[in-house]
Amino acid sequence: MENKKKKQSIYDMIREYLDEAEKLKEGIPTIERPSWDLRACTLEPLSSIFVTPKEVIITADLPYVEPQSVKVEPINSDRLEITAAMKRKVKFKEMGIVHQEGEFASFSCQTRIPMPVDMQRMKTNFKRGVLEVRIPRKRSYKIPVE
Amino acid sequence: MLSTAKIIEKNSVPSQTFLVHGMPDVGLVGVIAASHLITEYKMVEMAYMDSEFLPPVAVLHEGLPYAPIRVFGNGSLLITISEMAIPADSIQLFMRTLLDWGQSKNPRLTISISGMPIQNRQDIEKPKVFGVASNAALLKMLEDKGIEILHEGYLVGPQALILRYCAEKNLPAIALLAQSFYNYPDPEAAAAALNEFVNVTGKKIDVTALLEKGEEIRLKARDIMKRTQQEMTKMKKGQEYDLPLYV
Repeated sequence: MENKKKKQSIYDMIREYLDEAEKLKEGIPTIERPSWDLRACTLEPLSSIFVTPKEVIITADLPYVEPQSVKVEPINSDRLEITAAMKRKVKFKEMGIVHQEGEFASFSCQTRIPMPVDMQRMKTNFKRGVLEVRIPRKRSYKIPVE
Repeated sequence: MLSTAKIIEKNSVPSQTFLVHGMPDVGLVGVIAASHLITEYKMVEMAYMDSEFLPPVAVLHEGLPYAPIRVFGNGSLLITISEMAIPADSIQLFMRTLLDWGQSKNPRLTISISGMPIQNRQDIEKPKVFGVASNAALLKMLEDKGIEILHEGYLVGPQALILRYCAEKNLPAIALLAQSFYNYPDPEAAAAALNEFVNVTGKKIDVTALLEKGEEIRLKARDIMKRTQQEMTKMKKGQEYDLPLYV
């Protein structure tokens, strides 16, 4: 028993901890949300986030959108809201759904940014129906290389 | 109770045809292209897959239930298509089952249509289509048709398994891979892949309607794309970005 304890490295301990956390996560019952909000008449766009050494890049797929209606607004230091009006309202029926009534006029989503960024220097670009937001990362400290 | 997976034929399935696979993957290129072929050629359901490893899903069309993985056909073409993301845990079994069944139909050529993710997709007007094949003669055929060969790299997902199994069984197979978005439905990439499908098979297909419906497809395909992305993550699809070990 003691031998076993001695052999366990910090990496093994971290791995065990992460495995436990994963098991706990799997045990939590979650209800899947639809990709739309009927009350707000909004659709949630497909989006993704990439982190590079210098910036955080967020993209969102926004079909049927008027480019000038696209808004990207920081909600706080680590959260961004993307909204965009569609060229026309899209009804459930047009998407093949007849058991519900409703229509959608815009896209809306919020994205959490996983590290400190400089929101003031955010740049946006909308091309081929895809929004790209580039935000420089903040560097709070530097480690000198000897 | 089923023991694994099997293909159940509903109609008499022709042999010696082109066999096209359009499975959910990056940009849903294969599914969008296969769906366009099925619509344009007015193809009918020939067979479907049943398996205890499929999620408990029925796809409804005009009130009737269908299996999510089906085979459509006409006299000269068979197309397999999945209307749901394929569970990563079952992909080997499902592809092996489709290929074994396909082999029994002695296809002229197996063609996988799919995407090849690139990071700057927004900046590309016309996606390029790359080819890979199960043998050297087919690679030459692709080159002769002006299709650039993907010489080194990694393939991950349905088309990777289809090619490997076909090479193992000495079956003629190619994959047409269009530059595409990773996790956004990409009808333009599907149209580019279909243009090369025409180049290879000599069949006629008009992609104008597909391009015109591009935004509508992107809107409707969001949910299946999202679920496909979850499965791609489990398959380590990101490995396709990796630099190949070439010494």
